[in-house]
Amino acid sequence: MTALAGAIQILGGLALAPLLPGTIQTLKAGLQGRRGPSPLQPYRELRRLWRKTLADPQPTTVVYRLAPCIVAAATILALFLVPIADLSPGWPLGNDAIVLVGLLALVRFVLAAASWDTGSGFALIGSSRDLTLSVFAEALLVGALILAALPAGSTDLVAMSGAASGSAIWSEPAHWFAAVAFALVVLVETGRQPIDNPDTHLELTMIHEGLLLEYAGRDLALLEWSAAARHWIFLVVAAELYLPHWGGFGVQLVCLVIGVTVLCAVLAFAETAQAKMRVLRVPALLAGGCLLTLVGLISWLVG
Amino acid sequence: MTSVELLVLLGLALLIAGTLAPVVRGALATAIALQAVSIALLGVGGALVLFGAPAFGAAFRSSLDPGLGIDGLTGFFLATLAIVAAPAAIYARGYLAGVARSRALIALGGLFQIALVGVVMARDPSSFLACWELMTLVPAAAILVRHSDAAVRHAVFVYLAVTHLGGVGVWICVLALAHYGAVGDPAALAAQGAGIQALVVVAAIVGFGTKAGLMPLHSWLPRAHPVAPSHVSALMSGVMIKMALYGLIRVLFEWAGPAPLWAGLVVLGLGLLSALGGVLYALVQHDLKRLLAFHSIENVGIVALGLGASILFASEGDETWAAIAFAAALLHVLNHAVFKALLFLAAGTFERALGSLELDRIGGLLRRMPWTGGAFLVGSMAIAGVPPLNGFASEWLTLQALIHVALGPSLGLGLAGALATAGLAATAALAMFCFAKVVGLVLLGAPRRAEAEAAVEAPPSMRSAPVFLAGCCVVLGAVPGLLVPSLMQLSPHPQSLAAEPGLAIPGTGSLPSPWLLLGLIALSGLLWRLRGARRAAPVPVWACGQQIEPSLNWSSAGFTKPLRLVLEAVLRPRREIEAVRERGQLQSIRYRGDIPHLFDTLLYGPVQRGALAGALVARRLQSGSVRAYAGYLLALLLGLLVAVRIGAIG
Repeated sequence: MTALAGAIQILGGLALAPLLPGTIQTLKAGLQGRRGPSPLQPYRELRRLWRKTLADPQPTTVVYRLAPCIVAAATILALFLVPIADLSPGWPLGNDAIVLVGLLALVRFVLAAASWDTGSGFALIGSSRDLTLSVFAEALLVGALILAALPAGSTDLVAMSGAASGSAIWSEPAHWFAAVAFALVVLVETGRQPIDNPDTHLELTMIHEGLLLEYAGRDLALLEWSAAARHWIFLVVAAELYLPHWGGFGVQLVCLVIGVTVLCAVLAFAETAQAKMRVLRVPALLAGGCLLTLVGLISWLVG
Repeated sequence: MTSVELLVLLGLALLIAGTLAPVVRGALATAIALQAVSIALLGVGGALVLFGAPAFGAAFRSSLDPGLGIDGLTGFFLATLAIVAAPAAIYARGYLAGVARSRALIALGGLFQIALVGVVMARDPSSFLACWELMTLVPAAAILVRHSDAAVRHAVFVYLAVTHLGGVGVWICVLALAHYGAVGDPAALAAQGAGIQALVVVAAIVGFGTKAGLMPLHSWLPRAHPVAPSHVSALMSGVMIKMALYGLIRVLFEWAGPAPLWAGLVVLGLGLLSALGGVLYALVQHDLKRLLAFHSIENVGIVALGLGASILFASEGDETWAAIAFAAALLHVLNHAVFKALLFLAAGTFERALGSLELDRIGGLLRRMPWTGGAFLVGSMAIAGVPPLNGFASEWLTLQALIHVALGPSLGLGLAGALATAGLAATAALAMFCFAKVVGLVLLGAPRRAEAEAAVEAPPSMRSAPVFLAGCCVVLGAVPGLLVPSLMQLSPHPQSLAAEPGLAIPGTGSLPSPWLLLGLIALSGLLWRLRGARRAAPVPVWACGQQIEPSLNWSSAGFTKPLRLVLEAVLRPRREIEAVRERGQLQSIRYRGDIPHLFDTLLYGPVQRGALAGALVARRLQSGSVRAYAGYLLALLLGLLVAVRIGAIG
């Protein structure tokens, strides 16, 4: 059972991740009354990119060329940290939530360095915005993780998701606050509306797309896959820590699939219903989320 | 005499010889070699004591007869000193070659090391205070020997004034402890009651906090560190401010311990203020060395967060986490010493090549100085706190300690812990923002002026020191778990933890750092093989089909603008736009913007004005007339007589 969970954790993360943004696009098109692309479209994009030539903007250094590999490697390592169905086959990488935050920070740093290496205005405007939002997003993320760590008394993701299973946890107000706060984190970290718009390449609006603008071919494929895997990581963590799940392995797995699908649908709905926010308004939203986590913590410590 | 004692004595003797050697003309290389070898010997001796060799030398005493000794904590700080000072001495060899007054600078470098060694090895109040003052004065002398224009003299004046005003706290604290016979004897102070303990604790926090650069007592730090010669600023930022933390640890955790709960909250609060404030002001600096100095404030703040958390855990009776938080603080002391020294040394090399370190006018040094630049890149990633380097390991451990404060049962401490945790997370993100900017502006992109275009790699001695320290960043990041158990033994509540390369701490998901490093290297290599076979087409960077103008390059201010706009209420930037018109036609537009340091304008400014006004009033007493002075004497005599009469004195 544990081995199966481990296999789903890694192979699922590697192979199924592009399905998530694909599903969101399809659902969004449906909600907007369009006939959208198939959920498998990201796979076709990856295949197309994998065959194309690379581009080497001048003057760049090894930092720019290595960046996609390091980003993808750090994202794969992050996949090892996120357990499926409260089970971990004991990878030597542990399951710490803060290490996960660190690996995602490494991704952000490497992409920012690569955008400085090109000196491209589009890449730099993206990374400047990304890093500004990350200040508030990391505080909020850690706050939401503290709330999820309260019942377990540990930042081990396996223990945290175990403590969040069952129905008793839902009588704790802290858990509700945590779920709302983490929903904001998911919006920021996956780069979805109303925070970022993944469909546009307009310099006025884009954040994460700007960072990838100079890349082509396999480099771009690695980065696109990493962005999809980021969806996987955050949606699975959201489903495991903050959405209802219970029972044995099979039931847990069904809960996970339903949870992730529901989250995709919610993201698609949010993208349809919400216009994009002004970039400089987002920190206020995230700071509001931080206050929510504080209220949640008070309710737990008082109760 | 054991071999460790012999090692330390030999180190001390060689260090004194190395300090005196520059007096002999032509013995500079020997002097530097002696200094590097001796400090390395002392470091090895310290590390041996840290890892379990018995403590030796004099014990702590309140009497004034001088004595030296080494215990575990001293050993740790000696090792930290050595890992920075030995490469800095080797670096100085190339850095000072051909510089005027290099003999004086080398002798002062040796004297500085003696003072630093003396502070941690002193076992009595008199030698501690003597070495403490020497440690403050020697860098000032080194700065003035190197440059002595008006701006530098003012910076040195502020440095001496602020550290001496704050240093009063150190004297009060140490002398009070000596008076009550409490140096090395916590029971003696506990017998004096809570009032005296509070006095000692407050004096220690003010005195040592000033020297450590804790906000709001930090004003001297960003002035003094940038003007010092690079091998001295590496020691100042890497080690000297840590000596203040050493003093704080001795007082709060040993002599005045167990520290009360409020002291823990004060230290935690000051730590949070310094961490966030330091990194925010670092982010808006435009000079590399000044930016690095502000980051020292940030990192001292992170250490203080760990120390504060340790006091809180101890007062709640959670001895395991008290020891872990203590170890986290010490680990960050070592890690910060390593990467900050690296960054200051590399900055010195860049300054040598370019003339000045204005961030917006560097660019492209990674290509031209691959060794120094590569080491600088590693150091930047370490200070930015990204895995798998050493900065991440100690920030992870500190963050875990704060999270466990937040998880604790009491509401007040839980909230304090949650605020500190969120603050530290934001600090880490801001530090990453800042160093993404620094790496981009200094190392990457196209060179932004002719000197950067023409820069070449530094001579071997200047290049080897940063590369060695970069190696230390990687190793300390990979195997922090071999050090942490020994550091936990130094806590007032020693706890044992199995020594293994990664950090397997109960209550966390563990940080298996060696596997992170190996996994990252292996996977990146694999992906590089998968990707690398194809030829890349050289293309210009996309700028909407236009020529790329150098004047359109992104600047430091531009990159941080979104954050500056978001935090306008906190940073209060000033900007002036002046349009010059002639006969109704716009001729030119002048733009000026800066971010005032609010601690200077709102706190130090009024204090300074008040002090000057007070001095003007006091000057009226100094009339110069003999009759007035005779009158003062008479008044004093009468006052004393009255006091004796009513029994106030005598």
